[in-house]
Amino acid sequence: MFKLNKLNALDISWIMLMIVTLANALVAETADKSLVITAVICFSIAFKGRRIMDYFMELNHANRTIQLFMRGYFYVFPLLIFFADLFSEELAILTTL
Amino acid sequence: MNIITENTFYLNGCGAVKDEPETVNKIPGNKAVWVGIFAELTEFALFFIIYFIAKAHYPEQFNQGPLQLNTLAGTLNTVALISSSYFVAKALASIRVNKPDESIKWLWRAILCGGIYLVIKVWEYHWNVNQGIQTNTNKFYTLYYYMTFNHLLHVGWASGSLIWAIFQLKSGRYTQSNHLGLTAIASYWHMVDLAWVIIFPLLYVLR
Repeated sequence: MFKLNKLNALDISWIMLMIVTLANALVAETADKSLVITAVICFSIAFKGRRIMDYFMELNHANRTIQLFMRGYFYVFPLLIFFADLFSEELAILTTL
Repeated sequence: MNIITENTFYLNGCGAVKDEPETVNKIPGNKAVWVGIFAELTEFALFFIIYFIAKAHYPEQFNQGPLQLNTLAGTLNTVALISSSYFVAKALASIRVNKPDESIKWLWRAILCGGIYLVIKVWEYHWNVNQGIQTNTNKFYTLYYYMTFNHLLHVGWASGSLIWAIFQLKSGRYTQSNHLGLTAIASYWHMVDLAWVIIFPLLYVLR
C-alpha cells in the first residue's frame, strides 16, 4: 500500500515538475518583463523546490532543522528575487561604493 | 502514517525500523553529506546575491542577456536534471524493496541524464561563442558562465558518485538493510538539481 503511494507520489511529482518547467520555458520565450511575471516565476521556483525536497529528497518527515533550513532557502530566495526586482534602484544605491 | 508504520522500513538505509519510518525526524543519508550540501548551497547563495546586485547596477545587460541565450538548451537541461532526480529517487525506492538490479537500472538512467546535461551544456557554450557571447561580453554573461560552469562541475562529480553507487550495489555493499551511502549520494544529487531550479529562471527566464 505504502509502496504504491510512494511510487505515485514520485511519478506525479515528476509530471508536475515537467509541466512547470515547460511553462517557465514558454514564459521565457513569449512574456515581456513585468512584476507579475516575476512573481509567477518566483512562485514556480518555490513550488519546484518544495516538490523536489519533499518527495525526491524525502524531507517531508525528516530532521526538523534540515527541513527548516532547506525549506527556508526556497522561500527566502524566491522572495529575494522578487524584492530585488521591485527595489532594484534602491538596491543599486545601497550597494554603490 | 499508520499504514507505513505497519511494515518494516529501511528508508534511511541503516537497518530495519519497525516502530517508525527512519526518515521521521532523521537526517537523510549522514551528517557529513549535509555539511557538504549546506556548504554548496551557501556557495550558490553567494552567486545569487551577486546576481541581484549586478542586475541592479546593469539592468539593461540583464534585461537583454537572457534573450540572447538558447532557451531550448536551458529547458532541456532542466528536463534532464529533474528526470535524473526522479530516477535517483526511483533507485532508492527499488533498493528498499530489495531490488538491487532495478536500482542499478534507475541509476544508469540518472547518469544518462547527467551525461545529456553535460553534452547539452558543452554544445550550448559552443553555440554561445558562435553568437559572440563570451565570458567578457558583459556582466550578465560573466555571471552566466561563472554560475553555469560551476554548476556543470557539480553535475560532473555528482555523476561520478552515482557510478560509485552502482559499483557498491553490484558488489553487494549496498543492500536493502544497508544503503546509507546511496541515500547520502541521492541527497547530494537532489541538491545539484535544486541549485539548477533557481539558476534556470535567473539566467534564461527572468528579464
